[in-house]
Amino acid sequence: MTADLTQLFELYYESLVRMLYRRTGDRDRAEDLAQETFARAVAAPPNNPRPWLFAVALNLVREDGRRALRQGRRLELLRSDDRPPQGPEADLERNERSAAVRSALATLGERDREALLLKAEGFNYEEIAATLGLSKGAVGTTLARARRRLVEAYRSEARGKHVAS
Amino acid sequence: MSHLDEGTLHALLDGELELSEVKEIQIHLGICAACDSRLQDVKQFLAEADRLVGALEAPAGSSRTRPEPEPRPADTIPPRNPPPWESAPELLLPDPLEKTDRRIASRVFKWAAVILVVFGAERLIQGALQPDKPRLELSSRDLTRPAPPPAVVSQQETGRPESAVTRQVRPAPAARAPLAKAAPERKAAGDQPAPAAAAALDELDTAGAAAKDSEVAVPDTQTLATGRADSGAEQNTESQDLATRMAAAAALEELDRERLRSRANAATASLPPPRAELPPAAEPAPAPRTLEQRAQVYLRIGLDEAVTQLGRPVHVIEALSPEFIGLTPGRLVPGADPNRPVVRVVYLERGRMIMLDQQRLRTGQAPGAAAGSLRWTQGDVMLYLHGEPSADVLRNLQRRVR
Repeated sequence: MTADLTQLFELYYESLVRMLYRRTGDRDRAEDLAQETFARAVAAPPNNPRPWLFAVALNLVREDGRRALRQGRRLELLRSDDRPPQGPEADLERNERSAAVRSALATLGERDREALLLKAEGFNYEEIAATLGLSKGAVGTTLARARRRLVEAYRSEARGKHVAS
Repeated sequence: MSHLDEGTLHALLDGELELSEVKEIQIHLGICAACDSRLQDVKQFLAEADRLVGALEAPAGSSRTRPEPEPRPADTIPPRNPPPWESAPELLLPDPLEKTDRRIASRVFKWAAVILVVFGAERLIQGALQPDKPRLELSSRDLTRPAPPPAVVSQQETGRPESAVTRQVRPAPAARAPLAKAAPERKAAGDQPAPAAAAALDELDTAGAAAKDSEVAVPDTQTLATGRADSGAEQNTESQDLATRMAAAAALEELDRERLRSRANAATASLPPPRAELPPAAEPAPAPRTLEQRAQVYLRIGLDEAVTQLGRPVHVIEALSPEFIGLTPGRLVPGADPNRPVVRVVYLERGRMIMLDQQRLRTGQAPGAAAGSLRWTQGDVMLYLHGEPSADVLRNLQRRVR
């Protein structure tokens, strides 16, 4: 890995894995996809690395999801965290909350979800637009829709759970 | 101006609008209650959505299950002793009760050691000054103390056959009367008995009294004394000497013990009473400084206010979520106008605080930025990146400032 790529790795790997983990809910998959992304960056060094890396990573997630569907595997967006339990109630609560957020996130459209995750990684509108192939003016609307739907879906789920219990 | 759409409000809150647009929107919000109310809604949705996405934090380490390593030959070796830093910290904390006991015992032993040294020295000096006297001699002061019960017991008392030693220790009944009688005579003649001898006489008298009380028939001293005092004097000298020595030794031993006990008691009584050993009073821990205090921010503000203060979109470090935005005095920022506050965006990266200061340059104000410095200008805004990480880390972050 050249010095530039080493720097890219240091700068973006953690953020990329975080975004991929939020997207897939699977830490191992997130790491695999991030490494695959950097492997592609080694093969064809990008000019504008940040949007490129995240766009490639999101493409890989989509491809991976389609392949999983073709193979009959169910995309486990709601899969609970497979970490060993660290604490008693706090851990359980965190897992439940995490699952609820994932569930809410799964109700969003692909583009809305990706815009939201990129924004959470500190992307500005221009970078989100470049990564997702949107116009800059559409990013605000996309994010507004994504945020509202996420919150409403989460609240709805929380209400349903409350009624059920 | 028509009502603001939700996308514009999100762009406003995300700091993505130009200053002219921001001003227009602010004017509109001032006169349009509906848009202002919607802005409040959007703020809530934005904050809630950020919080929800932020809840999906990746675990700190990889969750991959790594295969167990093959047992190496070294694994069969008994485990080494853990180094001191791996030992349980509670082992370093002494049990207060044990500590108290140890302290008291330590004090008693110190005093006992002092007493022993003093007493031993006294005895040595006495021995050196009076070499003719027997070594087990008692001082006159010692005689004031009651002698221990005699080592002589009757056969009936013990119910066992009389041992040779007992027989040897027990003086002949005939010898006791002359000795008892001889004592005042010797006093009158100015021949003071040696202290050891006096103790021995006491011993013998006590033994005689005990023997009288016992059922052993004691011969009449008057009849036995006749004509035997002179002939038995030499024979009795040996047994008398031995009895004297043994009785004196026993008395001295008991006296030593008694003295040590009393002196130790006196010494410990004079000491202050042992205080209840409490764990050392922990200094009240100073209240941890808040992040605002650490960042020297005197007012925490929202993004809108920050944009207003700066008159420009607020710069941020990409891929880092700010903890908060605040105002800090301009005198804290090199090159800043000390009369104006500076917008400070505060980040926390692995517990280390990073601050991105931003100040709008006034007309004619020199940027004062050097190449490669962490203080630079973007447009008419001066930026200053500083904090707890090293300069190299900050330079890496500088590239990500948008």
